[in-house]
Amino acid sequence: MNEAKRKLLNKRYRAEANFKLFGQIAIGLALLFLAVFMYKIFSKGYTAFQKTWIVTEVHYDKELMLIETDNPSLEDLENADYYDIAYKSMTRLDPSLPEEDDRQLIQMVAFTYEQEVKNHLLKNPSLLGKIVPIRLTASDDLDQVHKGNYPRDIPEEDRRVNDYQLKIYDMLNERGDILSKFNLSFFTNPDSREAELAGIASSFMGTVFSILVCLAFSFPIAVLAAIYLEEFAPKNKFTDFIEVNINNLAAVPSIVFGLLGLGVLLAVFNLPRSTPLVGGITLSLMTLPTIIIAARASLKAVPPSIREAALAMGASNMQTTMHHTVPLSMPGTLSGTIIGLAQALGETAPLILIGMVAFVNTIPGTPVDPAASLPVQIYIWSESAERGFVEKVSACIMVLLGFLILMNLAAQIIRHKFERKWN
Amino acid sequence: MRGNGTNMTKISAKNVNVFYGSKQALFDVSLDIMDKEVTALIGPSGCGKSTFLRCLNRMNDVIDICKVEGSIKMDELELNSRKLDVVRLRENVGMVFQKPNPFPKTIYENVSYGPTIHGMAQSKSELDQIVEMSLKKAALWEEVKDRLDEIGTGLSGGQQQRLCIARAISVSPEVILMDEPCSALDPIATAQIEELIDDLKKEHTIVIVTHSMSQAARVSQKTGFFHLGKLIEFGDTEKIFKNPDNQQTQDYITGRFG
Repeated sequence: MNEAKRKLLNKRYRAEANFKLFGQIAIGLALLFLAVFMYKIFSKGYTAFQKTWIVTEVHYDKELMLIETDNPSLEDLENADYYDIAYKSMTRLDPSLPEEDDRQLIQMVAFTYEQEVKNHLLKNPSLLGKIVPIRLTASDDLDQVHKGNYPRDIPEEDRRVNDYQLKIYDMLNERGDILSKFNLSFFTNPDSREAELAGIASSFMGTVFSILVCLAFSFPIAVLAAIYLEEFAPKNKFTDFIEVNINNLAAVPSIVFGLLGLGVLLAVFNLPRSTPLVGGITLSLMTLPTIIIAARASLKAVPPSIREAALAMGASNMQTTMHHTVPLSMPGTLSGTIIGLAQALGETAPLILIGMVAFVNTIPGTPVDPAASLPVQIYIWSESAERGFVEKVSACIMVLLGFLILMNLAAQIIRHKFERKWN
Repeated sequence: MRGNGTNMTKISAKNVNVFYGSKQALFDVSLDIMDKEVTALIGPSGCGKSTFLRCLNRMNDVIDICKVEGSIKMDELELNSRKLDVVRLRENVGMVFQKPNPFPKTIYENVSYGPTIHGMAQSKSELDQIVEMSLKKAALWEEVKDRLDEIGTGLSGGQQQRLCIARAISVSPEVILMDEPCSALDPIATAQIEELIDDLKKEHTIVIVTHSMSQAARVSQKTGFFHLGKLIEFGDTEKIFKNPDNQQTQDYITGRFG
């Protein structure tokens, strides 16, 4: 081997090594970004899955509750007065506190404490007349203090938790009367102005309904369109034109679809505002081209030999398509559909335009009830000033990501398990 | 191999021209295919033999730009007519393709598909019978009778091709077209198929396109030699291989080109 040839060979090896190196750097960077992103979200958000409770005692005093009968029915308990006993259950934490400063103690629990006291009794009516321990939802500020997210060393006048409240908190904490439990209400509560009570139930259900509506509208239309275009339509200028426009549709910014939903679905058809029905139809406009493209690709991937076999057996075009081509293309179509829905799942802009950004403190039971959706919920909470919402934003992102990962996993599984490999 | 033909013409092609767009693929092909005989079409790649075969069951319809001129008569029926019902035609003219292409369904479903769509069986037992008969005729029954509900694509290449033959004969076609049915098979599977072809010609007219001249010599009674879209020579297989009239045919069968 002469010198020139060896040089050339070395150069070729070097080029390959460099190429590999660049590829590895690119992947490394991508993983690094992902890791930073995940770390940020998880480190901020995991505390949202913990809820802080204050343990105190409540005296279900019939007199204070204005119950006159000896054997009160559930209805009587329902209508009883809980204000005083709930109030007292908090003030008993520090009997030495002058009455005019009571609010300082009351502010340490969520404003629903009266309701919580009431629910506790309604669940166990036998507690009437007794003094029993009860746990009450801590206020979001105290919750943040307990989770260590709230600085204690800033001047008192800048702090939402004053020195007295911190003293009571430290006392309770030493006694073991501050509890940290799994935050079930984050999943079962609708949105709230109070961070300690806010949950994702309404936005989660809104998302589920939107996705179902989106699926119901986009899947049949898209699959039929794809089958027609791929198997029946003549190949001419007009169908080329349609194909180009389907691809264009897939590239239209989502906010434009939001405007369309606003201008047509709400203004012309007068569908109910802020509902998953309108949200789902708007999203289906976005999903439609994605599914059409996926379905056409998987129809194209069915080898012509299968079509020829069926045609040569005397099957009509329709029979060939419905008996053979479409069933074989279904796995690809379905995984494309799920990918399309996963995209729709994360859409925020069109939903904001059709009013799904409204504050909804009820859990929607049908697609025509007002609702938010998970990404919009993230947007709403991220605009809130209160510290308690910071962790909620991250937690909500985690739920949304979990949802997305599940869907993409389903798409992958369908593809691997059912999609036929043609050789 | 001696024929047992009825000496009646089954298919008669006259002046067939085929165009793919502006490119002409067949030039004035005229030939007669005899009933219950095996007719082999040979020639180098791209010579138009498969194109001619696909005229016989109108599979060229699938290709948008393909245009067929001339007359192809099967018995009294004009095949190259717009009014022809291709579904009925293909019920009568079965086809076996170059690459085994069973449906990715069970063996049973593969064979029962044709009879089902054409409404040939009134009951399940009748359908079972058709499936069994077809598989027996295709010499596959003994190998698959215990696993009819297995997927057809899981069989070996030779078995798949015999499954495709069983599928083709399930609707009792008068004519079976075979487009290089053995080109993807090993010699043993090829021998099985050739034996099968010999059996099938008792009941069916067979037209086979093949690359293998020895195969054409073994299985066919008539042979047509195509070159560059023209039918160069057509006649008894024995004559074509022993004493062809045309120099090109002579060159091809002796392996001097192609």
